[in-house]
Amino acid sequence: MNNHKKRKKMLSKYWIPLLSAFAMVVCLLVGVLYIRSFMVQQTMKERTSQLEEMIEQIRVNLEYGLEIHWNLLEGIETSVEGKHYSDTQQLTEEIVRLENTFQLESFGCRIMMIESTGTAYLSDGSDGIWDDMNYLSDGSDRKTFVSETSNLGGTFLAFAQKLNTPITIGTDNVNFTHIILLKDIKEVKKYYTANFYGGHAATYIIKPNGTLAYYDSEEEDVLNVRNIFKALEEAEYVRGRSFDIVKDQLDKEGIAAADIRINQTEYFYSLTNLKDYDMTLMLLIPAEYVAVSTVDMMGATLRVMIIVTFILVAVLVLAMLSFLNAQRSNQLVKIEQKNNLELTRLREAAEDALHVAEVANKSKSVFLSNMSHDIRTPMNAVIGFATLGLSNIEDKEKVKDYFTKILSSGNHLLSLINEILDMSRIESGKVSLQETEANLSDMLHEIKTIIGGQIHEKQLELRMDLVHVTDEDVYCDKTRLNQVLLNLLSNAIKFTMPGGTISVHITQIKNLSAEKGVYEIRVKDTGIGMSKEFVERIFEPFERERSSTVSRIQGTGLGMSITKNIVDMMGGTIEVQTEVGKGTEFILCLELRLQPKQKEMMALGDNMHEEEGQAASDHEGKEAFQGRHILLVEDNELNREIAQEILCSYGFRIDVAENGAEAVERIASSTPGDYDLVLMDIQMPVMDGYEATRHIRVLDNPELAAIPIIAMTANAFDEDRRAAKECGMDGFISKPIDIDLLGTVLLSRRVSLCHNSLNDTLGGTGQTV
Amino acid sequence: MKMKKVVSSLLVLAMSVSLLAGCGTKESEESAKTEEKETVVVALWGNQMLEGYTQYLCEKFPDVDFKFELVTNSTDYYRFRQDHDDMPDILTVRRFSLKDAVVLKDYLYDLGDTELAATYYGTYLDNYTYDDGTVNWLPACAEVDSIIINETLFEEYQVPIPTDYDSFIAACESFEEVGIKGFVSDFASDFTCMEVLQGMSTSQLLTMEGREWRQQYEGGSTNQLSEEVWMPVFEKFYDMRDRAGLAEEVDWVNRTPKDMFIEGKAAMYRGTGADIITFPGRGDDKVSLLPYFGDNESENWYLTYPAFQVAASNNGMDDPEREQLILDIMTAMLNQEGQEKISYGKNMIPYNRNVTLELLPELKNLEPYIDENKMYIRLASNDMFRISQSVVQQILKGELETPRDAFDAFNLELESGDSENEIAAHLDTFYSNEFTDEHGNQAASAICNTMREETGVDVLFGQSCYIASDIYEGDYTEKDLEYLVDNDGGWPVRTDLTGEQLYQLVEETLALKSNRGGVCNDSTMYVSSGFEMDITRTEDGYTLNKLTQDGKDLDRTATYSVIIFSDRDWYIPVVQEAVRFEVMPIDTVPRATELIKQRLVEEKGQLAEPTDYIAIK
Repeated sequence: MNNHKKRKKMLSKYWIPLLSAFAMVVCLLVGVLYIRSFMVQQTMKERTSQLEEMIEQIRVNLEYGLEIHWNLLEGIETSVEGKHYSDTQQLTEEIVRLENTFQLESFGCRIMMIESTGTAYLSDGSDGIWDDMNYLSDGSDRKTFVSETSNLGGTFLAFAQKLNTPITIGTDNVNFTHIILLKDIKEVKKYYTANFYGGHAATYIIKPNGTLAYYDSEEEDVLNVRNIFKALEEAEYVRGRSFDIVKDQLDKEGIAAADIRINQTEYFYSLTNLKDYDMTLMLLIPAEYVAVSTVDMMGATLRVMIIVTFILVAVLVLAMLSFLNAQRSNQLVKIEQKNNLELTRLREAAEDALHVAEVANKSKSVFLSNMSHDIRTPMNAVIGFATLGLSNIEDKEKVKDYFTKILSSGNHLLSLINEILDMSRIESGKVSLQETEANLSDMLHEIKTIIGGQIHEKQLELRMDLVHVTDEDVYCDKTRLNQVLLNLLSNAIKFTMPGGTISVHITQIKNLSAEKGVYEIRVKDTGIGMSKEFVERIFEPFERERSSTVSRIQGTGLGMSITKNIVDMMGGTIEVQTEVGKGTEFILCLELRLQPKQKEMMALGDNMHEEEGQAASDHEGKEAFQGRHILLVEDNELNREIAQEILCSYGFRIDVAENGAEAVERIASSTPGDYDLVLMDIQMPVMDGYEATRHIRVLDNPELAAIPIIAMTANAFDEDRRAAKECGMDGFISKPIDIDLLGTVLLSRRVSLCHNSLNDTLGGTGQTV
Repeated sequence: MKMKKVVSSLLVLAMSVSLLAGCGTKESEESAKTEEKETVVVALWGNQMLEGYTQYLCEKFPDVDFKFELVTNSTDYYRFRQDHDDMPDILTVRRFSLKDAVVLKDYLYDLGDTELAATYYGTYLDNYTYDDGTVNWLPACAEVDSIIINETLFEEYQVPIPTDYDSFIAACESFEEVGIKGFVSDFASDFTCMEVLQGMSTSQLLTMEGREWRQQYEGGSTNQLSEEVWMPVFEKFYDMRDRAGLAEEVDWVNRTPKDMFIEGKAAMYRGTGADIITFPGRGDDKVSLLPYFGDNESENWYLTYPAFQVAASNNGMDDPEREQLILDIMTAMLNQEGQEKISYGKNMIPYNRNVTLELLPELKNLEPYIDENKMYIRLASNDMFRISQSVVQQILKGELETPRDAFDAFNLELESGDSENEIAAHLDTFYSNEFTDEHGNQAASAICNTMREETGVDVLFGQSCYIASDIYEGDYTEKDLEYLVDNDGGWPVRTDLTGEQLYQLVEETLALKSNRGGVCNDSTMYVSSGFEMDITRTEDGYTLNKLTQDGKDLDRTATYSVIIFSDRDWYIPVVQEAVRFEVMPIDTVPRATELIKQRLVEEKGQLAEPTDYIAIK
């Protein structure tokens, strides 16, 4: 649609100038054609007019010339009229005398006397009946016509004069009624021969009935017909005339001309009536010889005009092209401006991106700097206190204090590494939620248990309650939700000064359906609060507010980012309300699936029993593991030693294997009951833990094959756990070994270290390990 | 061996097939050729054209299917044909004047710019040129018509050969004294009346006044004779009638004067160059052709006229191929070879530059006249023919006592014009003049059957081309009815023949070559009425198989009353001699036109039904 509009707009922009230019070109061409047509017509008129003038001139000359002959004949008539001759001999002598007297030879003429019945007498005597007596039979006194008399042989122009008083001969008074002056037609030529057309003009003398009397030209007769008028009538007229029009003009004006086409050649002809002589004269000339100079001049003018027109058209076209070019340039400028804007925008975006990248880089640098600092600090403590411990190995109290501080620093390092890894995994999309049944009240209770020590240590007040929660039993990824809450609470603890208050309130806002409720969790402290600037970046990774107040607070800068990501994964929201110096409140809003009521009750009951059972187990302690035999599979000697020490401290008997293959061999070579458990490292030389587990699980002895195997690995991700489960392992603990947690796990397997129950139990707690 | 036999059998079979195929192809080619033949209808002004001219055209144009029609010798006849949209392709006429022919101008082809016209002397061509330059008609060579004298007879009776009118009269008177007719002429025919009237006064008619009057008359500006010109003409004729004793000749038909001349009973007769050859006197007599005599020798003139004029209809001339064919035929009719076929080529004067005709020794007298151009071309309008006959016959009969009476009568008739325009009959049925193998010529059959019925004879044997056109359904004036069968040569001749003679008549007729009664193609085939003919076409003509009557063989022993309808002067004598039969006097039977008018006008009847008179293959 936009393109169409644009095109329309473009067209409307070019339409008027284009149409104007086109109209001008058309006008020019029409003008040229009109002028050409006009000039052709003018040329035609000019040529016709010139021909008419020419033939008029010829006619005048011819009539003048013929008139001379009439004058001669009158003179002769006067000499002989009414005379009587004794015989024809005397008559012929008279004819000779007259021809000499009037010097007729110089005129190319002869005298013929016609006897009443048609006998013709010439200077050499009688020549029989004249062929052309018919011409004399119409009663005219004077007549001029072309005679091809056989009496003389040849073509003559005959001037016939009827005698008022006949000549008489002999005693019988034979009447001679006519005197004829015969002029050799060739002698007449000089009055009409059109040499002015370079000898290309043919002359036709035409009888009254339209038939040819005499043709005169050195060139072949192109008409080659007897009936000239009929030929002209049937000819193809070049410019819309017809012989009827020409004939009409000839009859009215005595002169007419037209152009015709004969055998593909254009000819002009002109006719003139010689009324007194009863004949018509015609000139026929090839068009190329008619008014040549006029045609040339007209042609030249036309050519010049065409050239000028072409130049004008060319100028117009150039002007149009310039206009179009200007329009195009204008358009290009606009496009360039638009592009520049776009470029500016892109540049700004790039700058922003660069800025972001720089900020990110800076954050990363800051992070790395922080990490460097944060890692080096506890590491420094570990190394420093270890050094001090070695120096004061004898002072048991100091060593104990040093070990306590090394342990603390180590734990901090571990949590730091865990969070970095966790963040990395969340961002790379490798974390998925695993919904399980959960009780919100229990969760708060567990959290309270976890952080209770820290609260107490910092002398803070912790308030936890459920407000208007009708459905405590829900489905959620309890581990992740705990992680969120612990992160928020951890921060609250960190940034709240002793004597401050931290509260956690869970409110069931509404139910979306019978199966889903909306819960709001508010974690509030009365801590130092945050600046507005930091609040805007609080959920970005590696961000920590730097201030003199908090600079001493340790943190990875990833907790809030991880929290935000987890909430997003849960489809919830998290908001922050904070004020520097007054405290901070995080508000989570989550949609959680509700558990059916009965199950909830039962689960609640079970949990309660389990809690009770769990508590009882804790009390049973290390005695429960006394004598239990574990095969520790670990290639790293240091880790093997640590694990041995820890396990031995719980009363376990430890056998060691340095790789998977050795472990398989030991199990295979054992008898059922020799080992209660296998702690299997994953990454090992010769054979890794997965492979070894698969070999064990396929041992022929089913009891040996079913021996509980717990993974013990530094690979602490979900996929590692899945891989462990898939290859047949029963549990999963991550390194470095948390002594308490390992103890808890082992205790949970105390009574029955069976494959299935161990798997279930460890699967549910794996994340926390 | 077996194999060889099979192969040779196959070869024989193949050859047979190819031969048969070849025959079949040839036949089909010939058949196709016949079918492809272009039909050209040629109207013949007189039956002498049947003598050799038609054969000449047939030989000259073998791919043309000619249909020859023997028409009335008149331009008005073609008006009649044009009225029925049935104009022949090529027209010929001897009696011609531009004045009469102008009514046909729009229907005829303009020959003015053809190569054929270009062969004519300009002076002659001018005589055939209309005011707009159109030339429809072109003349064949000139026939000379004057006085044939038996020089031997003149010598025998020591009568001086005349040189002028007075000596002519003197000669007549001298022969009268010895019981020999000095001058005879047939005054029963219109043309003879007209020619003698004009011929004897040629010098008068060619005076300046005479020429001017003629031009006015032919131009239509006058319809009356000029007293100045014509009174002397009648005076002279009266003088000749009285002094040469012409009164008794009023009822003589063409053949009578010629017979008298042959028998030595007449010393001079009005005849043509052709007549010198056919009626040469008494065997070895020396005959010659003298001019019509004027008051003095210088006023002697030969009378002449073209043997005939030729024109072409406009029909079909818009097809260039057809146009060229027609022009080619006309050229053949008028070229050297064609003109030699007219009156033997020895008694004619050509009008064309490219034709030279030999003059007979008997025509030697003509030469100086030809050189001096003293050849009078007769004034030959239809009125002139008709009224000349009427007035001359009245003069000879004494009904017009004085030249003034004759002059006035002539003018009166000129003024009243031809009054035969009333409807005289109505024909209910159309009959085609086209010859077909199945029915012959149905129009000719209808006419012949009618003539037989009207005359009451047993059988009639007539040449079909004498019935020139289709019989049109519709109204007819008497003149129109005459046009159906009117022509110079066709006369019904009455005789009695046995069946055997009838056989011989038909056989002799079919065998005739170069005769005015000859058959050159289907269009000139004879019609039988009262009997049927079974005829076969052969390579050189036709042969008779048998004659039947009502399907039964003709009784060869029975005698039949017969009318033969064909040329009387040239055909009848030949078959008469061959078959040995006598003919009854010519006036025993009315002419065909009279018989037809009798049936249709007087009896108010219709033509007899045509019959399938011929079986031809």
